[in-house]
Amino acid sequence: MDRPIAYDKLAREERFVRMRAREVAELKVEQGLPPFPDLASRESMRERVHGIFVGELQAMEGAGRTVYDFPDAPWEFTLDMARQVWDESRHVEIYLRLLDHLDGYVGEFPETTILWRCACAEDAAARVAGVNRGLEGLACDVFNQLIHIAAKIGDPILERAVDFVLADEITHVRMGSRWLNELTRGDPERRKRAIDFQDSIDERFNLGGTRRDGAHDEVSISIAKDARRLAGFTDEEIERLVRSTQRSPVY
Amino acid sequence: MNVHPLAGHFSVEHSAKRIRQYRYVEERLMRILGGWIALTPEVPAKLVMGRHVWDCAQHADAWGKRLPELREAAHQSEPANEQVVRFMDLLEGREAPGETLERLTGVYRVLKPHLVTTYEHHLKIANAVYEPPTCRILARCLDEERRHVAAGGLILQRLATSESATARIADWEARLRQGLTGAGGITGEGDVAMPDTIDTAGTRPEQDVVILDPAFDAARIEPALAAVLDRHAAAVASADWARAEHDVAADARGNVIGEYARLAVPYRDFEVVALAKIGAFRTAKIRFSGPHGVAVVQVRCRRLDDDWRVVVAEIVRTEPAR
Repeated sequence: MDRPIAYDKLAREERFVRMRAREVAELKVEQGLPPFPDLASRESMRERVHGIFVGELQAMEGAGRTVYDFPDAPWEFTLDMARQVWDESRHVEIYLRLLDHLDGYVGEFPETTILWRCACAEDAAARVAGVNRGLEGLACDVFNQLIHIAAKIGDPILERAVDFVLADEITHVRMGSRWLNELTRGDPERRKRAIDFQDSIDERFNLGGTRRDGAHDEVSISIAKDARRLAGFTDEEIERLVRSTQRSPVY
Repeated sequence: MNVHPLAGHFSVEHSAKRIRQYRYVEERLMRILGGWIALTPEVPAKLVMGRHVWDCAQHADAWGKRLPELREAAHQSEPANEQVVRFMDLLEGREAPGETLERLTGVYRVLKPHLVTTYEHHLKIANAVYEPPTCRILARCLDEERRHVAAGGLILQRLATSESATARIADWEARLRQGLTGAGGITGEGDVAMPDTIDTAGTRPEQDVVILDPAFDAARIEPALAAVLDRHAAAVASADWARAEHDVAADARGNVIGEYARLAVPYRDFEVVALAKIGAFRTAKIRFSGPHGVAVVQVRCRRLDDDWRVVVAEIVRTEPAR
């Protein structure tokens, strides 16, 4: 097997429709829809859950590739990534069942591969910064809000299942913080490149102001400050993210 | 004959060597399974691999931590011989999207059953007085490897639905068994026979298995759109561009028919294999097959003038006939 593999080798069953993220966003904007589904209707809940399902699938695939792509990385790093593969495989199952719970189906909405592309960074430090801290940080925001909305609409199935996923994501962010530090110890240039990569992902997933600091029911994606603190983000990092959301251009 | 309770089969050095060999296989299998997930289309197969990556990692970790207790460096892996390396390379090599059957066969019908019998044999001959630390790891690995064999077998059974699939499995299994036998098994000692079956009773493999129907349910397509897609795909399959054009929005005809010009028409069959929504748009994936091969086309549709119209068409995959 190649180390790493080309982006377009990501294998899917026929029932998935893959589209470019920009194309999906443009089609939505053209129709006056938000680029990231709000949680205002059952259909938009389903669309968000479907988006999370494919995100978890790509997260599992990405973590699996990290186990394979870096045979010379510290053993403890590989162990953490292998653990993450298992966690993500459970998350895929959880979101498959939640899709069913919401009367949705696999392939109901298009799949984009931005997350997978982030998981293909050639440097292990960039991968953990971008995926474990950037994308799993985003997952903390999205899941925290989903739990809140589920409680509000009285859906204990959704609330409980996603709460357990959130607990795992917090663990993954911690792993990312640990390995960003350990893999770049004594190499400030490498560390800077990894953090720049994470910043570029944070910027991209601010989704033109969709992610913001604010109450769960007032903004589309609310920054989960408490969950992020628990995951090991510093107050300064959280503030930096909040500032970056304020300057994000419209998607 | 009475065997002295302190009589033993393995020296400390021999035991450590075996453990390095086990670790080589478990670690390498962990990496292979991890790497394959992205290359495997079928979700149930991806998920079973995802679950077993972590178990293999823990087995490798347990073996690696046992080594310092046997006067060796921790976390060292060592293949028994070059043939074992070649066997693992052979197993790893089936990475194409259409080779999931071979991937699962290699792991769940050859390597893991062999691991089960190897661990069983070791457990049977290990000394019960001074080797319990090794025996406990063996017992744990054995339990999990048996469960893996059962879980992988369930997925394989679901995927192998044709005679040709069964033949592929048998061919690949025979080839790998030959490689592994030639190596003398993973320890190179040739002391464990290749098993035909493994006793998996009581292993509860369902905890590792998510069964999903892989096919798209065409009944999910609303009738008016289904009628248009059917008519349009039939026209494309028979290269009747005038008829195909009828279902295309006026301002998109040039682009859509231009894209179809790249197809190796005619096709004998077509099938809608996926349908995704983006607001008012629907993107259908149509699979065409014929004497020249297969083409998969994504057509985006929208309601215009009270009927569905194709507004974009994109060929997303072509495969020559085999």
